[in-house]
Amino acid sequence: MRLTSGFARALTIGVAAAVALLALDSAVHVLMAQNPFGGPRPSADPQVGGIVGWLLSKQSEFYREMSSTIRAAKSDGSAVWTLLVISFAYGIFHAAGPGHGKAVISSYLVANQETAKRGIVLSFASALMQSLVAVAIVGICALLLNATARTMCGAEKVIEIVSYALIAAFGARLVWTKGGGFIRALQAPQPLPAMALAAVAPHDHAGHGHDHHHGHSHPHAHVAHHGHEHRHDDHGHDHAQGHVHDEHCGHSHGPVPTELAGPGGWRRGFGTIFAVGLRPCSGAILVLVFALAQGMFWAGIAATLVMGLGTAITVATIAVITVSAKDLARRLSGASEGGGALIMRGLEFGAAGLVLLFGVGLLFGYIAAERVTCL
Amino acid sequence: MNIAMRRLLGLLLLAGSCSLGAGAAHSHPHVWITATSEVIYAPDGSITGVRHAWTFDDMFSTYALQGIETKTKGVYSREELSSLAQTNVESLKEFGFFTFAKADGRKEKFQDPVDYFLEYKDAALTLHFTLPLKTPVKPKELALEVFDPSYFIDFQLDDKNPIKLVGAPAACQLKIQRPNDGTANAQKLTEQNFMSGDNSNYGAMFANKITVDCP
Repeated sequence: MRLTSGFARALTIGVAAAVALLALDSAVHVLMAQNPFGGPRPSADPQVGGIVGWLLSKQSEFYREMSSTIRAAKSDGSAVWTLLVISFAYGIFHAAGPGHGKAVISSYLVANQETAKRGIVLSFASALMQSLVAVAIVGICALLLNATARTMCGAEKVIEIVSYALIAAFGARLVWTKGGGFIRALQAPQPLPAMALAAVAPHDHAGHGHDHHHGHSHPHAHVAHHGHEHRHDDHGHDHAQGHVHDEHCGHSHGPVPTELAGPGGWRRGFGTIFAVGLRPCSGAILVLVFALAQGMFWAGIAATLVMGLGTAITVATIAVITVSAKDLARRLSGASEGGGALIMRGLEFGAAGLVLLFGVGLLFGYIAAERVTCL
Repeated sequence: MNIAMRRLLGLLLLAGSCSLGAGAAHSHPHVWITATSEVIYAPDGSITGVRHAWTFDDMFSTYALQGIETKTKGVYSREELSSLAQTNVESLKEFGFFTFAKADGRKEKFQDPVDYFLEYKDAALTLHFTLPLKTPVKPKELALEVFDPSYFIDFQLDDKNPIKLVGAPAACQLKIQRPNDGTANAQKLTEQNFMSGDNSNYGAMFANKITVDCP
C-alpha cells in the first residue's frame, strides 16, 4: 500500500506538470493570438473537415436561414414554427462548437465538486440569462431608444468586458479557496517518498489511523477550527505527536460536499450563472434587431429563447459528462488512500486555475474570436 | 491499481486539452460579405492601391441600419449613410481592413481609406472604399488576400468578375483562388489540430487569394 502511495505521489506530480504544461502551451497560443495578423499562416490551404467542420457549416446554414424565415413569417404564420425549429437547431449546434461558456461552467463544476443535477440547472439558467440579456439590450437600445448599431455594439462590448472580468474574478476566488486545500493536501506527510521507504516502520500504522480523518466530516464547528489550527491540541484529538497537518485535512480544505448542497453553495452557483450568462450571443442580437426591423420583434424573442434552450441542452450534456468524468476520477483515485485526496484537490485546483485563465484570456482579448466585432 | 491510475491520468489530460482547445478556438461567422475588388495601377505600371466593394448579408445590413434616420422609410441616401460609412472604415482599421497584400513576398501596408461611401440596394448595404498603399509597388507578383482571421466575417468573392485590374500592363495575369473550390492542395483541418489551440489564424482557411503576375 505504501508503495502505491509513492506511485500516486509521483503520478500527481506528473499530472501537475502536465496541467502546467498545458496551461503554458495554451498561454503561448493565446498570446500569439493577441495580434491576429501576426501569427504564422499555414503554408498550405487547409480545409475544414471532420466533425468540427460539419458543425460549423450546419451552424452557418441554420443561421443564414433565419433571416429569410423571419421575412416569410411576416405573411405566413406557419413560418414562425420553421423559425423556432431552426433557432433550436442553431442553439444546439452553436453550443457544441467552441465557446467559453461551457468551458467555464465545466471547470467550475470540477473545481467545486458539483453534482450533475446542479450542472444541468447552471447550464439552463445561464443560457436563459444569456437570452434575456440579448432581449433586454435590443429592447432597450433599439426599441425604446432607437439607438444606432454602433451604440448597441458599444454596449455589448462593455457588457462583454464586465462579464469576462467577472469570470476572472470568479476564477481568482476559486483558485484562492482551492489552492488552500491543494497546499494542505500536499503538506500531508503521508505520500512523501521518505514515508514510502519507511513502509515497514511501526508508526506506519499510526499513519493509517490518520488517513481515516480525511474522510470524517467533523461534526463540531468547522468555522471554529479556522484560525485555531495551532491550538488543535485543545480540542482533544487523539492524534500522535509529530503528524503536524495531516489531521486538518478533514476541516481545512474548502467545504465538504454536504455543505455545498446548502444555500451558500447555490449562491456560488449564481455567480457562475451571472458571469457566464451576462454576455449575450452576437447572433441573438443580430436576429433580434432584424426581427424588430421586420416588425416581428416577438418572433425574434421567441427565436432567441428557443436558441437558448438548444444551447442549454448542449451545455448541460457537456456538464454532465464532465461531472461523470470527475466522479470516475474520484472513484479511481479513492482506491489509492491518501494520495487520492491529493489528486482530487489537485484536480479541483487545476480546474479553478482554468476558470481564472479563461477569464483573464478573454478579458485581455487573447482569445480573439470571442470578442464582439463592431463594424 | 496502476492501470486505474493510468486511465485517470489519460482522462485528466483529455479533459484538460479539450477545455483548453475549446477556449482558444474560434467561432463561426455572423456576418457574410460578398466582395468585388479592383487593383489600381498608376500609368507607370505600379500598383497604388485596392478598391473594395463589399456587400453585407441582409441580416447584418438591417442591423447596421438600426437607428439611422431617413426622410423616406426604407430609402437610404448616400448622405444619410455617410456617418455609418465613417464608422465602418474607422472600425475596419482595427482589423487591417481584412486585406493583406504581399508584393514579391514582402508585406505591404495600407494608408487610411479614401473615397468611402455606403449604398443601399435590394435590402443590402454595400461599402465602397479605396485603400491606397503606403508606397506604390511594382512587383513581379502581387498576392492579395481578403479574409477575417477570426472568421467572424465570411468573405466570398462575387461569382462573376470579382477582381478587376484597373490600368494594369497588358502582360499581367490574374489568378483567383477561392476557399474550398478544390484548387488548393487541401490539408484537412482535423479535430486534432483544431483542438490543439493553434488556430489563431483560423480564418485563413477561408481566405480568398488573388495573385497578379506581371513578368
